[in-house]
Amino acid sequence: MNRLWIALPILAVALAVVPWVASDTIVQYGINALLVATLAQGWNVIGGFAGYPSFGNSVFYGLGTYGTAIAMAQLHWSFGSGLVLGAVLGVACALLFGLPILRLRGPYFAIATLGLAAVMSAITATIDIAGKNIGLILPLFRGDTLFYEMSLILLVATTATVAWLARSRFGAGLVAIREDEDAAQVMGINTTMYKVAALVIAAFFSAIAGGIHAYWITFIDPASAFDPSLNVRMVIMTLFGGSGTVLGPVVGAFVLSAVSEVLASKATSVASLFYGFVIVAAVVLMPKGILDVMEGFRTARWRYFTNNLRRFRL
Amino acid sequence: MTEALFEVRGLTKRFRGLTAVSDVTFRVGHKEIVGLIGPNGAGKTTIISLISGTLLPTSGEIVFEGRRIDTLPAYRRARLGIGRTFQVMKPFPGLSVLENVTVGALFGRGGGERKRKRAEENARQWLHFTGLERRIDQQADALGGPDRKRLEFAKALAMNPKLLLLDEVMAGLNAVEVDEVVELIKKMREKGVTILVIEHVMKAIRRLSDRLLVLHHGQQIAEGRTDEVLQDPRVVEAYLGKRRQ
Repeated sequence: MNRLWIALPILAVALAVVPWVASDTIVQYGINALLVATLAQGWNVIGGFAGYPSFGNSVFYGLGTYGTAIAMAQLHWSFGSGLVLGAVLGVACALLFGLPILRLRGPYFAIATLGLAAVMSAITATIDIAGKNIGLILPLFRGDTLFYEMSLILLVATTATVAWLARSRFGAGLVAIREDEDAAQVMGINTTMYKVAALVIAAFFSAIAGGIHAYWITFIDPASAFDPSLNVRMVIMTLFGGSGTVLGPVVGAFVLSAVSEVLASKATSVASLFYGFVIVAAVVLMPKGILDVMEGFRTARWRYFTNNLRRFRL
Repeated sequence: MTEALFEVRGLTKRFRGLTAVSDVTFRVGHKEIVGLIGPNGAGKTTIISLISGTLLPTSGEIVFEGRRIDTLPAYRRARLGIGRTFQVMKPFPGLSVLENVTVGALFGRGGGERKRKRAEENARQWLHFTGLERRIDQQADALGGPDRKRLEFAKALAMNPKLLLLDEVMAGLNAVEVDEVVELIKKMREKGVTILVIEHVMKAIRRLSDRLLVLHHGQQIAEGRTDEVLQDPRVVEAYLGKRRQ
């Protein structure tokens, strides 16, 4: 494990060099992959560590895009102030709705957050300053390298936060809540505060990712900003890589982004079919994620997969 | 009895029409072991849930170290030094035995140990104390019955509680295991922990408790020294039915 922690900074530096050596297509794929990995990592905090399956993370992402877009297109602020506004909106939303919604558990929580996503999209479509249902156009800025590096820094920051979380007292509290919330509470964990804090962390990073994406794409509308399928991708990528681990969501996001990119360029209709197949196979054969496969395969070889089938009674 | 560590006055809990606990009043002194007994459905677990904060009382007062705690949320009570186990045990199933107990040491009384390393050292000591050392790296849901009970103990003890509420920790154990747990509870008291214990295993209750509180249909029907209470005709009746004249 120690060797891995030395390898990571080297990997980050290697990724940072990419825009100077690779083609535009790869850099653009890279920006998307880095941003979606950040979103998956954010979902990991509330979904993977605290065990609350949020479908509201796309709301935080959407608020980040709208915060930045309103600041730049309507108020003519700088991009930096736009990111701040987006982050403030995302965090405020997490605080405001986190308290009531986090009282619900399991599927009820998931449904409530899904509802929040639908409502937010509808509300945004009626607000003048947000461009109603037409959307907003941001000032054009051509600089894929800059967007790429910003996205990379954001992903590194998010992953560093999760790495800290995994070793901290706060993280231990979140994991205890995931495993048994009642037991966690009688052991002295302020479960309400911990859950809200986890949601706020997720909201903050998701909103920043939204802001970067908005400025890069230069056009946003309610449907794309609050797209629930983006949230589904965060969940799938996190589960695919390894939920509640430090690197799982990043690995899952990179692998699945690559798979869907390759497939989309070959045949679009077969693509989603195959994507679905990959996910089903992943859930059945490696329910604890790809990182666990790498651990387990070393000791158990191919038996790892049949063991999983037996253990989770599939 | 020395000065009371905690006190319950007129404690009542109603679930809609059903009065689970009705006007119960008792005190527990420092380092006492008090047994809470009664037939099924008497309201024993409800009382423990009311004291630990898992449930809020309909009326009545709970005083811990001279301070009313009956409106505090469960986590605040845990920080004051009240630990509990659950009748249906609640380990953190996906975590290792060590991680389970470390959570207790990281939180618990006074907010617990801030540093994870130190908390882990504490946890190891409690695992040694409860005889779980050999299972330290095993996942909690892989443990068998008796070891699960030990884990519940170790988790609660790692919180460094002043008052420990034990909810039927001996159910399902064989005679040898019951003896082990009895010794364990006595050892806890020697460490200065006050204990309120719900138990059905009479042999154990007799050996452990300084005093008994007997509940029947949510009412307190007897309270006092263990040997006296067990002779009380009302208690015998609650358990065995009326003697024919």
